[in-house]
Amino acid sequence: MNGFSFLLKMLLVGLFIFITAGCSVTTREVGSDEQVIYDEGYHFSDKKAIVEDMVTSLLSKHPLLRATDRPVLIVYGIANRTSEHVSTSAMTDDMRQVLLNSGRVRFVNKLQRKNIKKETSYQYGGSVAAETRIEKARQVGAQFMLTGTLRSIEKKQPRQFRLKKKTLMYYSLNMELTDIQTGLIEWADSAEVIREASKPFIGW
Amino acid sequence: MPRLFARHRSRLLVGRKPGILIIIFFQKAGFGFILRPGFRFLSLVLFLIFLNGCAGRLNKASRYYYAGQPQQALNLLEKGDNLGNRNQLLFLLEKGLVFHQLGEYQQSINQFLAAAQLIDQFEVTRLSEQAGSLVTNEWMMRYRGEYSERLWVHSYLMMNYLLLGEYDDALVEAKQALERLQKHPEALNADYFTRALIALCFANLAEDNDAYLVYRNLAKDLPSPAPIAADIVKHAERLGMVDEVEKYRPFLTPKNPLGEAELVLFVASGRIPLKRPGNVVLPPSIRFAFPYYSAEKAAQPRINILPHSWRYRPLLTTDLGVVARKALDARKTRMIAKEGIRVAAKEAISQSVGNKNDVAAEAIVRVALFLLEEPDTRSWQTLPGRLTLVRIPLPAGRHKLQLEIQSTGFDRRHIIELPEILLRQGQRVFQSVRF
Repeated sequence: MNGFSFLLKMLLVGLFIFITAGCSVTTREVGSDEQVIYDEGYHFSDKKAIVEDMVTSLLSKHPLLRATDRPVLIVYGIANRTSEHVSTSAMTDDMRQVLLNSGRVRFVNKLQRKNIKKETSYQYGGSVAAETRIEKARQVGAQFMLTGTLRSIEKKQPRQFRLKKKTLMYYSLNMELTDIQTGLIEWADSAEVIREASKPFIGW
Repeated sequence: MPRLFARHRSRLLVGRKPGILIIIFFQKAGFGFILRPGFRFLSLVLFLIFLNGCAGRLNKASRYYYAGQPQQALNLLEKGDNLGNRNQLLFLLEKGLVFHQLGEYQQSINQFLAAAQLIDQFEVTRLSEQAGSLVTNEWMMRYRGEYSERLWVHSYLMMNYLLLGEYDDALVEAKQALERLQKHPEALNADYFTRALIALCFANLAEDNDAYLVYRNLAKDLPSPAPIAADIVKHAERLGMVDEVEKYRPFLTPKNPLGEAELVLFVASGRIPLKRPGNVVLPPSIRFAFPYYSAEKAAQPRINILPHSWRYRPLLTTDLGVVARKALDARKTRMIAKEGIRVAAKEAISQSVGNKNDVAAEAIVRVALFLLEEPDTRSWQTLPGRLTLVRIPLPAGRHKLQLEIQSTGFDRRHIIELPEILLRQGQRVFQSVRF
């Protein structure tokens, strides 16, 4: 074996080690405040920013601004009208939590209605001591309904002769607080996220 | 060391063709035995057997599926592709459809979402893969799915989400399907079923404007707008488009049944034609290989609802074979260009081997490369031949219906029992049927 063939063999071995080293698993902790964005799509940091904006607006404007009786709200969810599978219930869960922590509103638990009914039936089924049973027809009716719509508009660069493709993504969350008795929209606001990303057409 | 390189570089690189450089590289690295004509021939034949064997599990699963054994098909597909990930997309597509057939819609969604994600990754062209396929064949490439198959991933996702009552997610898929349609309109416009399904996803969430736009564009491509005239009129009325209402009202037939609620059936029948290998051979050993779909037509089944008191709205149906053929035609130019480059590359390799060795070595290489030129006939095999949208307006209440099917391809009448449904006023319920 001459020096040159030895060198080529070493080159092949080196290349193999380089490729396999790139395949090793790495992990790192990411703080909840840290912005980690891989592409133009919806990210968890967007949810955090949107929720903060909405809650601040809701608490600092009519009708909740001067409310002293801790009005009762019900969440009817956020409709997803984007072209991505986004968990909008995660947004409303976070909003409800921040609003509850403010101590200025209360919420009806819509999701647990079936279970509340089931538990009530059980308590009145004969197994529970009468003095410990909850009273029927004592649930609180909601005064306001919180709803919203998440929309997105995507704009892609036309496919011309270039090595990268740019995509512009626009997200808008519109939220409303409706007075259930009057049917009037008492508060409405929106939050927006606009992001541009570029992806290569060609890879190795 | 640099001197060593410089000494060899002058001898190796100057005036050499790339094919020769690869040969010299292996010889100098001490792996020269790989390049001996006999060994090369053996390697190429083994490689060919290896590539053809890769699709074996998919073909076997398809045979199980059409023999009425979807669970066995699934068991086989679950084992996956043990020879690399070139067929990963096909495994996901086949599993997604088999899960759908078994009524496991969430599992089906998981497979199809993974498939959609993989298709997005294919937007990046991998040079290493392209280079490899240029001197071998298309089987070297990861299967990327035809334009039609990429659309049907979203069709099945829409159906799955509607069947699960997850209408927001069905709408997400409708939007992604629209994007696919807009990318390749000529190839995919004949998929009336998917387009009607997209409109239905919009209509289901009272997105009147989008539903109206999809229906109106569909009306332009249908032989007659009659099957969707009622939908256009309804959405146009809600949007206050008086002229559009007047335009489409004449297409409303008095037979158009009305109801308080609706049962929507996704009826899949037959099987999609398989891709066939096509060849053009030119002397001395040039072979152009290409896949094509045979011109089979999927029979249009005759559907009756039992009891006969219930009638359905005009049917919207897609012959999947027709759309698949159009989609394959749409990428014909690209296919021919690549085939031309491959033929040139193989001819260059044969000639360079001939120049370096004797005539016998060149002949062996020519035969091996000729045999290696295999058309890529991989496809999504468990797809039906036809998808039909059956909309049955019904009054609110409990219903137990049967589907009576007669098709030219079937000798006898088929009766399919539908699960009992309880319909509320204004409710739309979805069910999937395959025969």
